[in-house]
Amino acid sequence: MADLSGEVVEGCRLPVLRRNQDNENEWPLAEILSVKEIPGRKLYYVHYIDFNKRLDEWVTPDRLDLKKLQFPKKEAKTPTKNGLPGSRPSSPERDVRKSLDLNVQSASAPSRGKTLPTPKRKAEPVSLATQVTAATPVPSLPSSTETSQASVFPAIRDSFGIKSRDEHEPLTTNGTPRRLIPSQPGRKRKNCGGTDEMVKVFQNNSPRCSTIYLLPGEDSQDSSDGIPSAPRMTGSLVSDRSHDDIITRMKNIDCIELGRHRLKPWYFSPYPQELTTLPILYLCEFCLKYLKSLKCLQRHLTKCNLRHPPGNEIYRKGTISFFEIDGRKNKTYSQNLCLLAKCFLDHKTLYYDTDPFLFYVMTEYDLKGFHIVGYFSKEKESTEDYNVACILTLPPYQRRGYGKLLIEFSYELSKVEGRTGTPEKPLSDLGLLSYRSYWSQTILEILMDLKSENGERPQITINEISEITSVKKEDVISTLQYLNLINYYKGQYILTLAEEIVEGHERAMQKRHLRIDPKCLHFTPKDWSKRGKW
Amino acid sequence: MSKLSFRARALDAAKPLPIYRNRDLPDLTDCVSINRAVPQMPTGMEKEEETEHHLQRAISAQQVFREKKESMVIPVPEAESNVTYYDRLYKGEFRVPKQLIYIQPLGLDYELPDYDMDSEDETLLNRLNRKMELKPVQFETMMDRLEKASTNQLVTLQEAKLLLNEDDYLLKSVYDYWVRKRKNCRGPSLIPHIKQEKRDGSTNNDAYVAFRRRTEKMQTRKNRKNDEASYEKMLKLRREFSRTMSILEMIKKREKSKRELLHLTLEVVEKRYQIEDYSGEILNEVTAPLAEKPIYTAPISLPNGNRHKTESKIKSHKSGLKHMHPFTVKAEPHFDFVHSYKNYTKRPRLEVLRQPGRPERQPIINKADIKQYDFHSSGEEDYPLSPASEPDEENDPDGIFAFRRKAGCSYYAPLTEQSCAPHWQKTDQDQLWQRNCLTALSVPRRCTTVTCRRMGRGGRVLLDRTSSDLDRALRHLDPEMFYPSSESRVPDLPVHTNTNSHTFSTSSPQCSLTQILSDIKACRWKFFRPRPVQENSRGEDKKGTQQVQKSGVSPLSNGVSGGITEEQFQSHQQQLVQMHKQLKQQELQLNSTAPEPHTHPPNTVSSDCMSKTLDSARAHFAASAVVSTPNNENRPQGASVNGIFSNSGNFRQAKLNRSAPSGGPQLPVPQSLPHGRGHLSTVSAVSPAHTYHSARPCAPSALKLGSVASSLDRVSKVTPTSAIDSIARENHEPERLALNGLSETTVAMEVT
Repeated sequence: MADLSGEVVEGCRLPVLRRNQDNENEWPLAEILSVKEIPGRKLYYVHYIDFNKRLDEWVTPDRLDLKKLQFPKKEAKTPTKNGLPGSRPSSPERDVRKSLDLNVQSASAPSRGKTLPTPKRKAEPVSLATQVTAATPVPSLPSSTETSQASVFPAIRDSFGIKSRDEHEPLTTNGTPRRLIPSQPGRKRKNCGGTDEMVKVFQNNSPRCSTIYLLPGEDSQDSSDGIPSAPRMTGSLVSDRSHDDIITRMKNIDCIELGRHRLKPWYFSPYPQELTTLPILYLCEFCLKYLKSLKCLQRHLTKCNLRHPPGNEIYRKGTISFFEIDGRKNKTYSQNLCLLAKCFLDHKTLYYDTDPFLFYVMTEYDLKGFHIVGYFSKEKESTEDYNVACILTLPPYQRRGYGKLLIEFSYELSKVEGRTGTPEKPLSDLGLLSYRSYWSQTILEILMDLKSENGERPQITINEISEITSVKKEDVISTLQYLNLINYYKGQYILTLAEEIVEGHERAMQKRHLRIDPKCLHFTPKDWSKRGKW
Repeated sequence: MSKLSFRARALDAAKPLPIYRNRDLPDLTDCVSINRAVPQMPTGMEKEEETEHHLQRAISAQQVFREKKESMVIPVPEAESNVTYYDRLYKGEFRVPKQLIYIQPLGLDYELPDYDMDSEDETLLNRLNRKMELKPVQFETMMDRLEKASTNQLVTLQEAKLLLNEDDYLLKSVYDYWVRKRKNCRGPSLIPHIKQEKRDGSTNNDAYVAFRRRTEKMQTRKNRKNDEASYEKMLKLRREFSRTMSILEMIKKREKSKRELLHLTLEVVEKRYQIEDYSGEILNEVTAPLAEKPIYTAPISLPNGNRHKTESKIKSHKSGLKHMHPFTVKAEPHFDFVHSYKNYTKRPRLEVLRQPGRPERQPIINKADIKQYDFHSSGEEDYPLSPASEPDEENDPDGIFAFRRKAGCSYYAPLTEQSCAPHWQKTDQDQLWQRNCLTALSVPRRCTTVTCRRMGRGGRVLLDRTSSDLDRALRHLDPEMFYPSSESRVPDLPVHTNTNSHTFSTSSPQCSLTQILSDIKACRWKFFRPRPVQENSRGEDKKGTQQVQKSGVSPLSNGVSGGITEEQFQSHQQQLVQMHKQLKQQELQLNSTAPEPHTHPPNTVSSDCMSKTLDSARAHFAASAVVSTPNNENRPQGASVNGIFSNSGNFRQAKLNRSAPSGGPQLPVPQSLPHGRGHLSTVSAVSPAHTYHSARPCAPSALKLGSVASSLDRVSKVTPTSAIDSIARENHEPERLALNGLSETTVAMEVT
């Protein structure tokens, strides 16, 4: 065992012991994403394949089943990548890096004396990832290594920068190019490996390349990463994961203390790097400022007089309130909120500022103040009918109906605006479940309330459902499909309500106590096209 | 009936769908396969994630059971809600308001430090608190400022001093601590910040850089012009606000100083009471030396009880800003509060040396104080440079002699119509006397013609000669006899003055330095501008001069300047009042006595009780500066006035010289003004005029006066009717008069 453990490197796969919800041991296959050495032992950051990233964790060596260790295979991944996406175990970045490094290898090999399990392939990613982990506080290290190479061989680099791309061309269909291609607004990520795209990329890139070797700092990351393309500027989610690298794939915060709660973040969040090494990151419950210690939080609380989110309360019923915060006017809070939300939203991007968003924060009041429960953000102007950008119920409040309340509220706003809306894609697993659940209940509620008139069967159009609920037509259809309500019968489409569906719905509605009361909503939509939304 | 091969129509969202219960349609199952006609909608999830184990399990569980089962829930990392110290941490309660909470768009920005103290800081704080009282917020503010002021480079100790404005020990301790802490700090700042993007794009892929600007957003459809205009307006607004801030800041300081003064006064009184100094003798003893050499730059920095007075002067001075010329505005930077406030005993002296008074240097003075308010950025208040002379002198050629503004002085705009020679020539006798007087020089003992005295740069005294119909007579005037001219206006022109006073002419190098020195020591240059009191009528002129004679004599006969009797004072005042009336009748719009920049700099108007007639009155009575030596111990009241003209050889000189030759004996009218009681004495404006035959019309008659006078305080009391509005003082640094190296204090006074 011990002799093998030295060979457990990034990219390896092996079964790892984990305990499921039922407190049973299971040995799902996992990929090693990172290795770090703390005094006395090694820790491995593992991603359980086919499990959500939020379950990724640091494990001790004794949880690794080293007998079934699979070393990363060079080509093996390509077909899987293409056909069956599975997880994103080996990030596309690695492919590029690999081929780059093949070029570099001659130059860099002497400096990397590490014995590699399969020296023929991927010498680079391995050592690279090691550096990353070893240098958690200084994540720029990998690039700096490359930087040094780059600066030593600037001319070479330039040439093989191009070359490596040439090599990539055949890989286009393998999903590699998507990371090279600037994301297309409004388009879902696809394997759009058109050579046109590639040409575009080169055009964009070539002028950079000519100068880039003088700026190794920039080069190192960029060249390995395709072009430093900026993501699209609308929306709040990335579907294009080309900017994913090993850093963002790993959780960087151990624990967040927020008010009464201690949260275990699920995903990476770009809090200041010096704070990521702390065992606990403290947040002010009301302004969400991040603080490095309890003492600091204590001090901060003497100065922070907020007892509710710093926005206008537009809804209050019982203890539930909603506050509207303009991402342009209250940047600090918006940013702090986004940082916190990023801990629990994988696809959320914080690439751009918060200006074009409104934030609706749901709070629960008690004597201490208005405690944040969840929030959703919304573009002031959406070109794609999005009425929600990001939506999150904080973990302590999950599975208690708050998520549905947030969703309901977002549709209430759309109703006031007089338009239909849909959440920004991609949805997360929990997002999908929540939305489906909301849509199902909302639609079933309508269908079951329909009374037959004049003895005829009640009927309704999809457009009508959409209008009543503000749920976008496509979502209505998909829900009807999902519930298997829509059927083709005797030459026409009909909606059929199965018994178990009706019963299930009734049971669910009994449990759904938290509802939005439209009468308590004080909201006037603004025409952001006439204002500075940014 | 339906065939499986049959292809269903597309689902029409606008078409009504009848709703059935399954039980109503027993034959439905036959039709199920048709469902594929409805296009399958995407879930909206990432393909890769859609297949995730837990999700699939949850979805199928939902489809099977139609409700969530506990074990089928997607597992998430646990969260705890058991922070035990929560109640201690978040103190107090928050009552929910009845109304919905509404945040004001411009919420009050509490100027609280972003920096939050940690336990390490607390240790230091506790240590410091053994020696002084330092509140945590105070400490945090210091750290905050240091932190925010430093970018890649730490602020230096000097910068920190300006930044923090704390006492030295505290500052040093905190600064050292901060530097140490900063060096050990892992992050780029002690206040953790989200990493910012860099312009060069090198951070495009840095995962820790967040909230980048949306660069393309600047493409605006709005009218560019409009944008520019509003931008400028915003700038202007900002500037105005910052100015307001500065003013408020100054007011704050002034009020603080006032309070301090009050405390000090109280202290003095208490001390006096303790030592039973009821008569004030001891106080006088103590304050006498102080009064001897008051070195005042900033009014606030006055070392003793004078402060209060001065401050009020500033106030009035400030209040008068609006209707005064921009000149006065300029004086503001001289309110060097910050510096003078702390070490007012030493600083002013240095300050004076450092301040050449060139406008471009002035920002430096108050930089620490007002830099944050962008005080100087306002373009509209360009300092009007003195048009006096040498327009080509750009780069401060005057060095330490450069003209500099005095705090507490009011400077008036030049009256252009009066300041050029042709106009003068046109003016009648009346106006001639308003600004000019008969002058004689004592060193080259000559009688000049009617001249106008003004202070040139560096304290040189310039005489602007004017031609008049008296010139012919003046030319023959014997400076030694110096007495009554043809019109016998000045019968009693003081000989003493002649002997005592010296004009030092640069064009007469024959004067030995020692002589000059001795001259200076004893000297009082007295100057008076006689006035034609009644509208041009001789008789009234005489009347005026007679009055003047009286008062002019006595100081001389006393051997001490400024020694006039009560009677004289009274009569003088009466005269003044009379003249006022006459003036008003004439409605003479005489706003300034002379071509402004020339005459005024030495004159200090401090308007204690500024009367409305001040301007015109001043036009009649010359204000004159008193130069006195501080070492004139034997003349505690040492009120001397030097009225000296010198021609600076500027463009006007030619004209003047041209008009000068016809010099006749003029009527020098000495005028002395009452001086106050006590040794904080009054200034007397005694102006013995020296006639001077302008034998050398072409000579560059820049005359330098080295005159030293003892210090003067102020006119301590002014009767309501008094023509004396106020006397302010100004000091010239000893070093500034390179000529004699003696300290010179010029006290200017305004007479109305």
